[in-house]
Amino acid sequence: MNVSRFAYASPRSTSLLAPSPELRGASGFPSPADDYREFPLDLDRYLVPHPASTFFMRVSGHGLVQAGFHDKDLLIIDRALSPRAGDWVVATIDGSLSLQRLDSHAGRFWLQGEDSRLARVPLDGEHDHRIWGPVCHVIHAFRR
Amino acid sequence: MYALIDCNNFFVSCERLFEPGLEGVPVGVLSNNDGCVIARSEELKALGITMGMPVHQIPSGQRRRIVLRSSNYALYGDLSSRVQQVLAARVPALEPYSIDECFLDLRGIGGDLDVLGRSLVQAVEREVGLPVSLGIAPTRTLAKLANRRAKGMPGHSQFCLWPDAQAPELSRYLHQLPLKAVWGIGSRLALKLASLGIDNAAALRETPEALLRMRFSVVVARTARELRGTPCLEAHELATPRRSILCSRSFGRLINDRQQLSDALRHHCQRAGEKLRRDDMLASAIGVFLRTNPHHTGPQQSHSLWTMLPFPSADTLRLNHHAQRLLADLWRPGIAYQKLGVMLADLSPRHGSQASLFEGHEPARQEALMLAWDAIRQRYGRDSLTLGLRYDNATWPMNSRYRSPCYTTRWDELPQVST
Repeated sequence: MNVSRFAYASPRSTSLLAPSPELRGASGFPSPADDYREFPLDLDRYLVPHPASTFFMRVSGHGLVQAGFHDKDLLIIDRALSPRAGDWVVATIDGSLSLQRLDSHAGRFWLQGEDSRLARVPLDGEHDHRIWGPVCHVIHAFRR
Repeated sequence: MYALIDCNNFFVSCERLFEPGLEGVPVGVLSNNDGCVIARSEELKALGITMGMPVHQIPSGQRRRIVLRSSNYALYGDLSSRVQQVLAARVPALEPYSIDECFLDLRGIGGDLDVLGRSLVQAVEREVGLPVSLGIAPTRTLAKLANRRAKGMPGHSQFCLWPDAQAPELSRYLHQLPLKAVWGIGSRLALKLASLGIDNAAALRETPEALLRMRFSVVVARTARELRGTPCLEAHELATPRRSILCSRSFGRLINDRQQLSDALRHHCQRAGEKLRRDDMLASAIGVFLRTNPHHTGPQQSHSLWTMLPFPSADTLRLNHHAQRLLADLWRPGIAYQKLGVMLADLSPRHGSQASLFEGHEPARQEALMLAWDAIRQRYGRDSLTLGLRYDNATWPMNSRYRSPCYTTRWDELPQVST
């Protein structure tokens, strides 16, 4: 199946993935300028390549300032990405959403919270800890 | 081949996605104005809480052990649209049927349907985070039944594929299936059929078509033909009464013009309003969907948006007002659309709802207007009076005390992640 045929316009974005028909010359032939035409940079598409699987969340707390996450920072989570060791992920731990580092050690995945002296949480299916989705960007505002 | 995919306990699953602590807990979602239970988790069903049960009838001892939420259509609508996008990227054509179900048209798809089906279920679970059930069969009516079968399967597998309408396994299933479970067969019709000895789905499909046509209707005859594996019903012909209403139509050609889309939408709203009033029902939520032609190259878009009405209503003017605002949010320049539709959900009977002094309701003036409207159109023909002008009115706040945040549509209500 040719998946690339389906180019989706984000409901938030007015940008399209293909030039619109109006850009063609009046004669119906493609304008030679089309070859050189560039589109304005679109931050939405840069940060959110997969609108359907991308979610925004808010950092709550000061525990991960060292790692670059400040209170009230905006997290961009893309569930279409496969989590990898070293990723920051949103995980569900004891029924709530928590920011964790994904570690791989002794052939298993572990969640590591803010304090590396604390025990790691194994992702073994026995405990009710799951990865909600990998964090792909964090946006920090200097003025609020 | 057609597929019907729907989200399991959709509203509850949406609530749980951002509040994982609700996993395993009895959860219910309430109708407009927090009147009665309209969606239940499996745990809540096990406690004996029935669909439509008024909140005040839940014993207080039980009330303390369960979690109830007001409906949050902004959240449900956004997640519904995401599910559609994930699916639309993987199949040739998709047709939303209600807020939590859509038909997939798999005609012309080569390859292994079993592999495709499992990958669709996995993609939605992984990318949007909602559990779904999927049924694939030669017709829409059979796909709906395959979906029902998938839900009943033990374990986590929520997928059922019936490639052959004559397969013995399918025949056995239809034999024990009550007629009421078949789309388009209401309980009154089921009773009439039973009086002729037709009391299960297999019996219906073996009944001669001429007899069904003569004694019942063309639609019943076509339903039987669909059960035999020949597609002959469109999605909108399958709409079940009282759960949701769908009015949609493909355009004869591709349309981008805002005004033309708006006119088409107005027409659909008129029909949807008439359907509502004919059944003496009120709707609490309204959705609009727009679809491009999936067989064309060029930019594709398939989206729907939902909103809550300020109070349950069957007023064509009000439906149209809210639908037009949704269309304004959906419409994009430069995209050629093929299909537009309006959907109504959270339906309740106009009479017998426990309206309190404080909750909003349609002003008597508006109800009278609609009565006159229907009377004029009935007497002088459908073209004698049509909706032409825009309608604007202040909205009243709804009573939704237990609403979860609009996690995906409002900056100030995003989920909080602890560090």
